[in-house]
This record gives sequence, C-alpha cells and structure tokens, in this order.
Amino acid sequence: MADDKLVEIKNLSKRFETLSVLDNVSIDVPRGDNLVVFGRSGQGKSVLLKCIIGLMHPDAGKIFIKGNDISLLSAKEMNELRKNIGFLFQGAALYDSMTVRENLEFPLRKHFPDKAQKEIDDKVVNTLKLVSLEDAIDKMPSELSGGMKKRIGLARSIITDPELMLYDEPTTGLDPITAKEISELIINLQKKLNMTSIVVTHDLICAEIIADRAIFLRDAKVAYQGSLSELTSSADPFLRNFFSHELVKE
Amino acid sequence: MKIPKIKYGRRLSSADTLYNFFATITGLTVFNIEFVKQAFKTPLEIGQIKKHMDELGVKTFGIVSITGLIIGLVLTMQSQPIMLRFGATDFLPAMVSISVVRELGPVITALIFAGRVSSGIGAELGSMRVTEQIDAMEVSAINPFKYLVVTRVIATTMILPILTVYVIMIALIGCFLAIILTESMSLKYFVDSVVTAVQFGDFIPGIGKTFVFGYLVGMVGCYKGFTAEGGTEGVGRASTTAVVLSSLLILIFDMVLVKISLWLWPTIN
Repeated sequence: MADDKLVEIKNLSKRFETLSVLDNVSIDVPRGDNLVVFGRSGQGKSVLLKCIIGLMHPDAGKIFIKGNDISLLSAKEMNELRKNIGFLFQGAALYDSMTVRENLEFPLRKHFPDKAQKEIDDKVVNTLKLVSLEDAIDKMPSELSGGMKKRIGLARSIITDPELMLYDEPTTGLDPITAKEISELIINLQKKLNMTSIVVTHDLICAEIIADRAIFLRDAKVAYQGSLSELTSSADPFLRNFFSHELVKE
Repeated sequence: MKIPKIKYGRRLSSADTLYNFFATITGLTVFNIEFVKQAFKTPLEIGQIKKHMDELGVKTFGIVSITGLIIGLVLTMQSQPIMLRFGATDFLPAMVSISVVRELGPVITALIFAGRVSSGIGAELGSMRVTEQIDAMEVSAINPFKYLVVTRVIATTMILPILTVYVIMIALIGCFLAIILTESMSLKYFVDSVVTAVQFGDFIPGIGKTFVFGYLVGMVGCYKGFTAEGGTEGVGRASTTAVVLSSLLILIFDMVLVKISLWLWPTIN
C-alpha cells in the first residue's frame, strides 16, 4: 500500500441477515483528504464508519489503516490504533454522568496517566477554545443545546490529536446556521490539526464546505465517485433527484 | 466477546422463547468469563469501584433500614403468640435472630438490593448503550467492559454483605422493640440470648452467600444494560428484566447455597 493512503478499504462486504448493506466496497482515502460519503438512509454509510473503527466486523474484505490490516490486529493493537482516530457520533454520545470538563479529560487521563493535572487542564481549555465553548466547561451534557453537544463531542474527539477523523452525520438535526458553523469548524480544525476526514452526511451545505472528494453509496455499492461538483452537476437522474429540488423520473 | 442476541417482539413463538432462554444463559456465561478475564487486569479502577460502592450503599441505605426494622418487628409479632402458647417467649430472641441471620436478612436484603440496584444498573448502562456512549468509550480505546461492568460487579459484590450485616442489626433492634412493647425483657438478656443462639455456622453461610447475591445483582444488571437495544423501549426492558432475572437467580442460588452450607456446617441442622 502506498504511504500516502491513510485508509484503504478493499472489497468490503457487510450483511445483516438477508439485507446486504455493503457489497464489495473499495475506497482509498489519502492522507489529508476530506472524503464525504453520501447515500440514502439505510445504505450502509454509518456501517462503513463503524467497520473502519472496528465497532462492527465486516463479513468480507479488508480495511487497512496506516498500512495495518485491522482484522489482524489484537485488541491491544487495535486500541493503540484507535488512539489516532477520532469519531464524532450522530448524537455526540457525550457521557451524561460527566461534566463537559470530565468528558474531555476522560480520554486524556486514560491514555496519558502520567500527564500532570495542569497539562490536562490546559489541554481541555485550549480544545474548548477551538470549538468556542470554554464557558460550558462545568456544564452537564443535559444543559447543552444540540449544536453545543456536537461541538463538545467534536472537542472530545480531537483532544488526543487524532490523524483521522470520522464524522457520522455531523449536522443532522441542527438548524442551517448551526449546521454551517459546525461544518466550518470541522474544516478549520482539519486545516489547523492537519487531519484526514471521512464524513458521512446527507447535508449538501456541509459537504460543500468540507468535501475534497465525494462518493455515493447506492444499493450497497459505491455507485458514483468524484469531486462534489461532478456529482452535483451529473445528469444521472438518481443524483439529480438527490441533489436538486426537482423530482426526476429515473 | 460474542453475545447471542435476544429476540424481542409482541408475539414470540415457543421456539423463540426457548431460544431466548438459552441465549440468556449463554450470554451470562460469556459475560462471566469476560469478567474473570478482565477483573485482574490493570488498571484496577479502584476509584470507580469506591464511587459505585458509595453510590449503591447510599441508594439502598434508607430502604434496607426500613425493611430490616419491619422484618424484626413483624417476625417477632407473628411468632410471639405461638411461643406464648408453649410458654417459650424467652426463646423469641434466639428464634428471630437465627431466622434473620441464616435466611431472612440475607435473602430479603438481596431482593431489595436487586430491585433497587439491578434495575438502576440495567437502565443506566442500557441508556449508555442506546445513546452510543458505550461505543464512544470503545472508539476512544477505553475498555467499556472493564470500566463499566467490572467496577460495578465488584462494587455490588462488596457492598451487599455490608448492607446485610446492617439489616440484621436493625432487624434485631426491631425484634427487641416488639418484645418490650408487650412484655418485660432486659436488653442484657436479649443480647445474651442472641449471642448464645447465633453460632459461627449460622453467621458465615448467611453472610457468605450475600457475596454471591451481590455478584448476581451486579452481573445481571450489567448484562441486561450492556446488551440493551431498541431505544427507550430497550432501556425499560433492560431495567425490568434485570430485576426479574436477578431476583430469580438469587432464590435459585439461595437454595443451592443453603444445601452446600448444611453440608459444610452440619451442626446447624
């Protein structure tokens, strides 16, 4: 595998009982790239992310991250690899029994037990500044709005300085202004921290801000790929239906 | 760790029910094996264990206090007329204390504990599961089984015997109160009777089995919560089934442990 590929997915297949959600999917993600994954609901986008991070195991195919075949890694080795990967869940998945500070401290304390409290405090405050939410440091997740939760979830994901970020519908359920702010935040962080990103979304505005490249999953396969403009300007009736306001007969 | 999925639905066939029965047994076995594998691995998460012990103890303290007092009062009030008929009211402290130490204290405390704690753990972990908090822990390279399950199971195993000893003490106070309401008995006579009646062979199996009950309560609550699925309905189901299953297992294990204790300490026959 060439060194510039941070993630390489080869012939990945995943099925739930009789339903095939990923069928022979192959994707390369070069280092520093922002890949947006489109697809209708239930087309295996989130499953793809969960296979990459090892939350789900594919039925067939291989996933290489930094050249490592993740199916061959031990639990310990996989955890070492995961320290370099951030994951933003659709619902942010903040630990609701912990304050914002504790949510951010948690991965730091676990991965760097020798770090001094002062260092941890500084890192937490600086990361919260990146998402413009330093005032929320002592709040509980239940006191935060949907957009704030996403920002804190993002802050928690990047606090360990990951090389690869996986976003599962980062703007779903947010108003258009907050969605744009989150998308801008993602692209700014990506530039600032030099990360590689895979973003699963339905949100065209979000994709316009983030995407270097896009793929479209349809019927469990990568049906279309290219730059975002290529996909949005395509004459294919299915893509026109997805990206435009008109309803085109296929 | 591969745990078989339980089938849910409004109308399950007999085959599905049978499948669920074996899936639960298999799931609990896998969970137990994983617990043994993870329990001695570092970091031991002592802070989390202490925190859970503290929370669980505080959570159940009030309800077990009332329960203990009522057990002592009611058992004495129920037994008093019968003992009076045989002119044996002096034996009331001995009779009540042996009943409470051997059986009623441990089992009733465990059942109350199961109702309060197993459901709480089931709901808490179930909620964490359906809101992807457990997945978030896993993707952060933190072992959720070690952090969430092992710490809670150790905490419930350690705290239940302490609560049981406390309930036994409160039940004996209830017994003494019930006696002195109707007849004269000195505290010294009461204490002497209890100390003479309760022997090593009564106390050790009685308290010993609460370690097993505590383990069961924690294990079942964690198993149901950790494997919950299906949104808020799944959380409710995890909470309810955790109580039912842990209460049932407490009674089944009680039967087995009583038999073992009678075999180990035949003097208590």
